[in-house]
Amino acid sequence: MAVSAKKGRQSVGHSEVRLAWTLISPTALIVFSLVVFPAIFSIWVSFHDVGLHNLNDVFHAPYVGFQNYKQVFNDYAFKFQSLKSIGAALTSIFYAFSATTLAIVIGTIASLLLNRPFKGRGLARSIFLFPYVAPIVSIAFVWRWILDPRTSGVANDLLMKLNLIDAPKAFLATRGLSLFIVILLDAWRYFPFAMLMILARLQAVDKTLYEAAKVDGANDVQQFFSITLPELRYVIGSTFLLRLMWTFNKFDDIFLYTGGGFGTKTLPVLTYEFSFRLYDFGRGAAAAMILLSILALFMIVYVALVMRKVEN
Amino acid sequence: MESENKNLISHLAAWINWKRFISAALMIFFLTSILFPFYWMVSSSFKTRAEIGGREPVYVPSGLRLDAYKELFDPSNPSYQNFGVNIINTLRVSIPTAFVTVILAVLGSYAIARLRFKGKEFLLNSILIVYLFPGVLLIIPLFAMLAQIGDVFNFDVQDNLGVLMFTYMAQTLPVALYMLTNYFRTIPDEIEQAALIDGCSRVQVIWKVTLPLAIPALISVGIYTFMIAWNEFLYAMVFLNDRFLFTMPIKINTIFNDPTPRPNVVMAASTIMTIPIMILFLALEKYLTEGLTAGGVKG
Repeated sequence: MAVSAKKGRQSVGHSEVRLAWTLISPTALIVFSLVVFPAIFSIWVSFHDVGLHNLNDVFHAPYVGFQNYKQVFNDYAFKFQSLKSIGAALTSIFYAFSATTLAIVIGTIASLLLNRPFKGRGLARSIFLFPYVAPIVSIAFVWRWILDPRTSGVANDLLMKLNLIDAPKAFLATRGLSLFIVILLDAWRYFPFAMLMILARLQAVDKTLYEAAKVDGANDVQQFFSITLPELRYVIGSTFLLRLMWTFNKFDDIFLYTGGGFGTKTLPVLTYEFSFRLYDFGRGAAAAMILLSILALFMIVYVALVMRKVEN
Repeated sequence: MESENKNLISHLAAWINWKRFISAALMIFFLTSILFPFYWMVSSSFKTRAEIGGREPVYVPSGLRLDAYKELFDPSNPSYQNFGVNIINTLRVSIPTAFVTVILAVLGSYAIARLRFKGKEFLLNSILIVYLFPGVLLIIPLFAMLAQIGDVFNFDVQDNLGVLMFTYMAQTLPVALYMLTNYFRTIPDEIEQAALIDGCSRVQVIWKVTLPLAIPALISVGIYTFMIAWNEFLYAMVFLNDRFLFTMPIKINTIFNDPTPRPNVVMAASTIMTIPIMILFLALEKYLTEGLTAGGVKG
């Protein structure tokens, strides 16, 4: 009796495993062929001479060691030259950090604004999410049209009417200014993500903490710094990490705003240019691996230092 | 003592008003800076060429002039863009992407959430790789790999909407698996166990018990993947050369880079691309924001 019961259970177990594999295999196959294999393959490509000429016979591409990496490191678009042209590596780091920080600061303000009840809060929250939901292509071209360098550009018109500038500015075609504008636009587009994450956490904060603080005579500012901010530390930390990762990897935004010109060339744009303008896939893959290494290095440091501190 | 109290109250009142003032000012600032670009997009799409090309910007178009839309859709227009084809192409890629992704992700995520098998952790971790990997990195090996396969099986990698759909799944499938696995984990196992004890098979349980419960999640994952495919720019730009196969984002980029700039046409095309997404979002916001906070969307 006991034996047959055990046997029965075992066969259930077997059929479960079989079912699991039946269910998972198409998905696993596609994830493997579209994500895992290409990820590993791109490491391989970065050490080989792969171009359009041998794309059809890519597995026999000649091994070139670190040559692709050397070419990337010596490229004028990549390396630091002067403070005026800091190169794609530093631009990427600067862009990712400032855009992420700004998006999180604005997201925090927005979430505090939406945290207290008022009429039309639901509608306001929906509208606040618009920049994040709308297609990037439309968003980018609207901003380019608003920031048009001619006098017919609405930003130039408004700023000139307010006497803030004398002559129309080429916002997205001026070295220095462009990077600044792109960072602003990035924060505009991505603050809603931070806002949602922080808002969800804010609504879970124990209300009695504030009541106790009020009894102790703490004002709003004190309450914010001694209750709200500590409660938000973990969510801000993890949102920062996610957003930083995604911003660092971002291609569309900068490519559509400036095409990577005027001091806004980041590593993803450089990777694209190596691969699909020069058709040097090996060099493109090497640039992408460098991008990935910087990111991985940062993540390790961040998780080891910041997140551990937050947990304590 | 009383005057001190009164003083405190009036201070408090002043403080509250000041606070309210700041909130209101911030709210107005946020709303205008968010809504203005959308207003500018829609209003510019109704402007004539004269209104677009003047010395100063026109803040309100003189009327609902359809010049820009005629250029997109009217074959008799001298610079007819045939934008209808691009809309259809986008739908031809994004709808199948959403369907196939949801079906595969349901099967996979159910197995990950409920069943025990070897290699599960490896699979989950490899899904997360895509969260770390830049899309621009994956496109190089994908391109090389697909060119190789295309050579063997005799299909073109470029200008092939089927191949494009397949590459989109590299982005949508991990997101969908992640979201649905999280969702299936929230459905209590007891419900399924009860049905199993009642004599249903696993497949029947999935079909009759779990899936009906998961419909809201399936809708939101479907909409997400649809939106990812609808908005996708980089892969479409690399894989499509034939303008009759362009999806909307690539077509809009092409119109924008035309030697004679016509911002009203670009804005009209952008409006057409944006409105359906905003309607979908507003209609299904409740489901979608849950997914957003679950970290489900990469962007």
